[in-house]
Amino acid sequence: MKFSSPSPIRVRLALKLNRRIIVWRIFPLLLGILVNATILRAQQPVDAAAADKQTLQHLLQRIDQLEARVKQLEAAKQQAAAPVSFPSPPVQVSAPPVSETELQTDNAVPERMDVSKTLLRMRGFGDITLHGDNQRHDTTAFSLGQLNLFITSDISEKFKFLSEIVFEGGPDNIYGETRGENNTFGVDVERMVLQYSHSDYFKFAVGRYHTAIGYYNTAYHHSTWFQTTTGRPFLFQFEDRGGILPIHTVGASVSGLIPSGHLGLHYVAEVGNGRASRSPITEEPVQNVVDDQNHKAFNLALFARPDAVRGLQVGFSAYRDLLAPVNLPRIGETILAAHAVLVRSKFEWLNEALIVRHAPNGVPRVFNTPGFYTQVSKQFGSYRPYFRYQYVNAPGTEPVFPDVGLRQGPSFGLRYDASETVAVKLQYDYTALRGQPAVNALALQVGFTF
Amino acid sequence: MRRLAGLLFILASAAFSIAALSFGPTPNSRLLPRPQIASEQNLAVVVNLSNPVENLSMPELRRIFLGERSHWPNGRRITLVMMEPGQPERAVVLRDICQMNETDFNNHFLHGVFTGEVLVSPKTLATPVGVRKFVFNVPGAIGYLRVSDLDPTVKAVRIDERGPEDKGYRLHVPPRTAK
Repeated sequence: MKFSSPSPIRVRLALKLNRRIIVWRIFPLLLGILVNATILRAQQPVDAAAADKQTLQHLLQRIDQLEARVKQLEAAKQQAAAPVSFPSPPVQVSAPPVSETELQTDNAVPERMDVSKTLLRMRGFGDITLHGDNQRHDTTAFSLGQLNLFITSDISEKFKFLSEIVFEGGPDNIYGETRGENNTFGVDVERMVLQYSHSDYFKFAVGRYHTAIGYYNTAYHHSTWFQTTTGRPFLFQFEDRGGILPIHTVGASVSGLIPSGHLGLHYVAEVGNGRASRSPITEEPVQNVVDDQNHKAFNLALFARPDAVRGLQVGFSAYRDLLAPVNLPRIGETILAAHAVLVRSKFEWLNEALIVRHAPNGVPRVFNTPGFYTQVSKQFGSYRPYFRYQYVNAPGTEPVFPDVGLRQGPSFGLRYDASETVAVKLQYDYTALRGQPAVNALALQVGFTF
Repeated sequence: MRRLAGLLFILASAAFSIAALSFGPTPNSRLLPRPQIASEQNLAVVVNLSNPVENLSMPELRRIFLGERSHWPNGRRITLVMMEPGQPERAVVLRDICQMNETDFNNHFLHGVFTGEVLVSPKTLATPVGVRKFVFNVPGAIGYLRVSDLDPTVKAVRIDERGPEDKGYRLHVPPRTAK
């Protein structure tokens, strides 16, 4: 059997004890035990006396051990107390420092996994919406939104695990085609990332993550509570909710700061499976386990957070993939995105524009799908009125998402923070569509974190 | 034409936003030292004795206290120590360094951890003694203490080349109220 050595923090705590405390506190305890043992002896069988005697002997031995330990610690304390004066240059104290993990968890064996404790931290996000619109066959309904369990774990000083497990109801909508039943729930591992943080200049991550295309995709993930509005802009809608971007990727990424002084430059470089491209397109759009080809998708993003304007971030990204749909020529996919956002606690202004370019091999035509949105909001106490205008225009002959077409229009809304963790939002959307009547929609949503 | 108009609208709005900000008070002017009231004490920013950092600029300090920097130059992970909400020392740090209120600060860290940009949330401790012990024990720790609570077990860093006993030091905390 192995015995763990006492941790430094326990050693320091023990330093506060002295022999007198042990004598005055432990001896009365032992005396009480002795008296009790004497009284109980008359009530217990004779064979119990032998056990009591053995226990007492064990306790006396333990006291001897503790006294010896106190002597040892007192000696160590005298050695450790090196005199240092402020503000003179610092002098190293010889007492060995403990690690963060040890101090925070008071774990006697910090380097060894303690199987009796969980390393997980969990936070939840959810939303419930009442919505209706004037589209044919649509009904006014209460809808359960995403129930998001956000889990992190500090595996070590350099490694961290992060995941989002989302329970979500309703059918999938992939490029305008729906699959699945209306009222069943499914579970998606939306993010599962192992991060290695070497320094501020180099961080490595592997797993399933949100592609660093533009700003919104990596700022809000799967929490509606964080978002000002009731939902994401159409440009950044999830793949299974009709979105046109490869929102998720399974692969690896490196990111970090670029030494640039007050400019605050950052980089992100990603390589991953990219989106699924084989027909039918209603298959799972994120290639979680198997890539349909050897070619990998690449994404490079650069952005700046200058010191001069607090909350400002400007940047761009370039994404490149090669799609291989069945019975069609390969399609080169390029997504160029740029953003300028100003996010402060009382004010936000988000502006993003991008273009999705599909170039089928051997075909002279290139299909460009431009899109942008702008969103502005300002906080007045617990109220935050907001406005968003969004635009996406996919050609009718677009080979990858032919059903998207043109959609554009404004959204107005009001967010009310009922508490620090609950937000109520009321939003009106007007969406003009190509060749179809415009859609007027109203939504009342409560989003929360727990 | 509509696309062009939309793009122009975005560019114009971004430009207007930046221009409007540039006419406002600059960050430096907002961070000018507040005149010290006679009864106030200075608030020292403290690190572990093994930390080689001696001086931090106010923007650097802000990035550290907002979790935007996660490592010291020596590679150690930064562990931020905050006192509990309601303590005057914490209020000074939120106001003068983070330029946020309590709710915004909490949301900032919640969001940062959610996006993965912030590695760890701040460690919250109740007393100056607790802060001092924590900083003494954790090599990557950074916290804050009144000058009267300093002792040789922690190191006070200079802020913009000014130590907590220098004239013009920026962080001041009101005197403790007797309970």
